[in-house]
Amino acid sequence: MKRPPLFLRVKIQEKKALPGCWLPLFVLVPLALALLIVLSPLILVAYIIVRLRGRHKKLPTVLTATLGVLCSWRRMMAACDLFCSTTGLRVDVSGPDERVHISVI
Amino acid sequence: MSESQKRILDMLANKKISVDEAYRLLSVLQPEGSASESAPRAGTSAKTKAKYLRVTVVPGPEHKDDPDAELVNVRVPMSLVRSGMKFTSLIPPEARDKVTGALHEKGIDFDMRNLKPEDLEELIEALSELEVNVVSAKEVVKVFVE
Repeated sequence: MKRPPLFLRVKIQEKKALPGCWLPLFVLVPLALALLIVLSPLILVAYIIVRLRGRHKKLPTVLTATLGVLCSWRRMMAACDLFCSTTGLRVDVSGPDERVHISVI
Repeated sequence: MSESQKRILDMLANKKISVDEAYRLLSVLQPEGSASESAPRAGTSAKTKAKYLRVTVVPGPEHKDDPDAELVNVRVPMSLVRSGMKFTSLIPPEARDKVTGALHEKGIDFDMRNLKPEDLEELIEALSELEVNVVSAKEVVKVFVE
């Protein structure tokens, strides 16, 4: 099993240096999951209503995909796998006046 | 003919990829075919497992000392590429149709329904031999796997 990422480091540096931000994912993710579990019945009901009314085709693609993922255990597992795979991701973009650094640890 | 080249030709025969895609993949694999004649490149032996997909943009030869030059350094874990590609097969049908339609509008004739798990593994394996170098006066773009 893959290890979930522990920290998300974001550093945006403009002309003067700003301190980097360390987001503790190991704290945020359980909270988000707990919130998702609490809200899941509401999400499911909303999804069923939207489908029954045939309005799902009018929803934005991102929302359709998100609802579809939340309503399927297999897709949820795949989303968790995707999240866990982000460990090691690093994006570093620097220009003349600014620098953006994002890394998942 | 190597195994990778055979797989690409099989995928072309089964209409899983277009002629252009097959040509590009075969072009990428070209050095492999002549590997027996030349010495293997350092750090890119076939047995080493690729860990990261790297994209770098650095100033070109004429702009090396340019203070306004932009640098990009992206490192994407191969496991994320693999999970992301697997995830595409689980996208709900409504969203998948929309994505396919949007791609078709842009002139890209690609249907995600045709992607099967075994094809994904083949694609990722082929990706591990990817190396793209675009050199211009202003910047050098490199896409490679390490």
